[in-house]
Amino acid sequence: MFHLGWFLGDSTGIHKWTGSWASTNGKDWTKPDIYIDLATSLERGGFDLLFIEDTAMVEDTFGGSMETTLKYGMMAPKNDPMMYIPLLARATKHLGLVGTVSTIQYPPYLAARQAVTLDHLTAGRSGINVVTSVTHRVAQNFGYDRHLEHAERYAMADEWMEVVSQLWESWDPDAIVLDYDEPRYADHTKVHPINFEGKYFKCRGPLNTIPGPQRRPVVAQAGNSTPGREFAAAHADTMLALCKNPDEMKALRLDMDERLKSHGRKPADLKILFMTIPVVADTDQDAAEIVRRAELERTSDEAITSRLWYLSYTSGGTIDYAKYDLDGPVPQEIGVGETTTSKAWLENSEQMTLRELATGPFNYGMDFVGSFDTVAEQMGEAMEVAGPNSGFLVYKPVTRKDILDITDGLCPALRKRGLIRSSYDYSTFRENLLAF
Amino acid sequence: MTEKAGMFHLGWFMNFMPPKSWRGRWGGHDAENWADGQFFVDFLQSLERACFDFMMLEDSAMVPDAYGGTMEVELKHSLYAPKHDPVLLAPILAKATKHIGIFTTMSTSFYPPFLLARSQAVLSHLSNGRTGWNIVTSSEHRAAQNFGMDELWDHDDRYDRADEFVELVEALWNSWDPDAVVMDRQSGAYADHTKVRTVDFEGKYYKVRGPLNTLPPLNGRPVYCQAGGSPRGREFAARHADTVITAAVGIEAMKEYRNDVRERAERYGRDPDSIKLLFVSSPVLADTDEEAQALVARSREVTDWKAEETLAHLSALTENDFSVYDWDEPVPELTTNGHRSTLADFFKNSHGKTLREAAANWQIGGVALVGTPDTVAERMGETMAEVGGDGYLIAGQMSRRYIGEITEGLVPALQRRGLTRTEYEYPHFRENLLAF
Repeated sequence: MFHLGWFLGDSTGIHKWTGSWASTNGKDWTKPDIYIDLATSLERGGFDLLFIEDTAMVEDTFGGSMETTLKYGMMAPKNDPMMYIPLLARATKHLGLVGTVSTIQYPPYLAARQAVTLDHLTAGRSGINVVTSVTHRVAQNFGYDRHLEHAERYAMADEWMEVVSQLWESWDPDAIVLDYDEPRYADHTKVHPINFEGKYFKCRGPLNTIPGPQRRPVVAQAGNSTPGREFAAAHADTMLALCKNPDEMKALRLDMDERLKSHGRKPADLKILFMTIPVVADTDQDAAEIVRRAELERTSDEAITSRLWYLSYTSGGTIDYAKYDLDGPVPQEIGVGETTTSKAWLENSEQMTLRELATGPFNYGMDFVGSFDTVAEQMGEAMEVAGPNSGFLVYKPVTRKDILDITDGLCPALRKRGLIRSSYDYSTFRENLLAF
Repeated sequence: MTEKAGMFHLGWFMNFMPPKSWRGRWGGHDAENWADGQFFVDFLQSLERACFDFMMLEDSAMVPDAYGGTMEVELKHSLYAPKHDPVLLAPILAKATKHIGIFTTMSTSFYPPFLLARSQAVLSHLSNGRTGWNIVTSSEHRAAQNFGMDELWDHDDRYDRADEFVELVEALWNSWDPDAVVMDRQSGAYADHTKVRTVDFEGKYYKVRGPLNTLPPLNGRPVYCQAGGSPRGREFAARHADTVITAAVGIEAMKEYRNDVRERAERYGRDPDSIKLLFVSSPVLADTDEEAQALVARSREVTDWKAEETLAHLSALTENDFSVYDWDEPVPELTTNGHRSTLADFFKNSHGKTLREAAANWQIGGVALVGTPDTVAERMGETMAEVGGDGYLIAGQMSRRYIGEITEGLVPALQRRGLTRTEYEYPHFRENLLAF
């Protein structure tokens, strides 16, 4: 069996709003309804979690202007996901809910408290995806002139996580007495200041609220660079991974197993979720037809612009791909943003033109194409190679059709094969996540 | 306007924490279950039935230990902690109601301005324009120490920063023109980038590039609430606030406060009627006037337990240790960096009393409102007629019984007299607040 997560890659932001099945997304993305439909569908499908990405900038790397960003609604506008989680919690019973929190945006005390507040409101189903933010543009919204260097971001994140973890432990499990006769609410000898003083953060504590059902909300991590892997091995319960084939999946799993052991943890303590954009349909032929159409669409000016925009963004705001000749070579610089993504996108591009790269395959995680049964079979086979303690993170456009294709098309095919859960056996997110 | 003459507004002051009533009769199980938010949903729905203007969710971020240098008394009484982040309760409250306003408290001393601007924008979208920001600067070193500072800035310095903070978040909310979103399905254009601008804010205290990465709040900005009673606090309120809440004691003080804030507002070129002054009060209601008086007499009985609770509360608020004083001596003279007006009120009502008596008798705000619903309604109407307006902020005990006394007893008596609204006229919070 493996786990399933849904990657809400545009957070609670503007989603696909034109073309087939976009429904009223253009004006209704700020409302909770589509996310509630998504969450209840995921629960019906047997997903472990909803993974909500977040960023906080209006990009202008591409072409040195916000024009492309705002024309297509690329990663902006985007609402802060944390405030949607309480509503998703009330619409579901079992699904884990993970919101993204950046270590340069959230003071650790605020993040620790919000995650715990959410753990109560979700009855033990909250999680945070800890990120360091990618671009200068984000950093400049938070008082920095430029973002910190990649390695330093992770050093800071490590300390940030340490503060948050200590705050989560600042109330002993038996601190609440609730003695109605004396009366006494809590025993102060079981609540402890943390007096943290590090290089980047200083925090006295204790937290001013009580631990939730999980005590420590689930921690997720999304970077695959060496510092990102180390962070996950030290702190995370689950991580997002970008691998293009089963062998890469296996290699990452083995690498993480070693790292976990060196941090005194077991391989089973961290579930790796491999990103995938599956193309599913009623028949293999239908799925192939969808792929064929998508390939044709990739050559449109609009699609090329969009791809170059993404390359500019993942460079961390350092490379403007609008400046290069489409029919010239692909610049090989990696940039300082989402380095793993950039590397995957630029792999084997030395002999290509920029146009060939921009119209080529999307290369974002595992490709699966076929009928529901075919894809279910392929996913099972890939996971056989990768080994235990893993799962897939499904990334599809946020339309009700795409949601149902997965939750009501693919999920039953996976369940029939005994590959995903048929029930939630525990009351908290972490227990279910670590159950297999 | 004539038919609305004499009408006033109602708000309720509360915190996302165990209701204090847990240790008395009628406490129910809310001290065990408060953390899941349901108590507050029930609470708000009652207030909406009674056509209250708003619920004000206070907040603080510390476990105080000023009293006796230990957290013991604080946690015994559960005065400040545990307390969840109210920003995450607001979406649930909004979803459970249709008309009532919801204020969340966010501190200008602890929130990064970009994060705050974005959070308030999201809440506005999720509530369809019914949320507001209670602007506080925080007043406690203990809270500041949770956010990396050794000590909080001085009182007036905090307000100078808050002025700049408000200017900055307003610039972020204005960074998208109202007509920036074009959503042209023909050309595929979502927004017009020429109508979205960076703010490039560089103040004395803050630096933010912008623009905001989401749509502005409905009506341009959330409704503002403010509670500072010091001259600097009043100046801030007069400049920014839509509603000001104050614990002024007695009709003369209420009048003075109201007139002062209104005059200051005029100096900023504002219409004084665009600021609604709400006076903190805690009506005591019963079936007969005699029973209500008996309840008050009982609540004034001097017990060590009540004295301890008040002194721990004042210690936390002002960060003076009241445990070092002899309870049987007159009240000591003290100064404070925060909550100056609260402390002044405590002293004002302490003449000729021992510290024990003053503490046990202490009640915040307003005029004595004791009696049957009709008696109290009458008195509230008379008081407002004398003060000039604009309403009351109920701050009584949070218990299901007390909420019922107000919403099912007092409010109908007020409505029969034409003193408070019987329906919400407008879809948005500010319009209702400014309707009379």
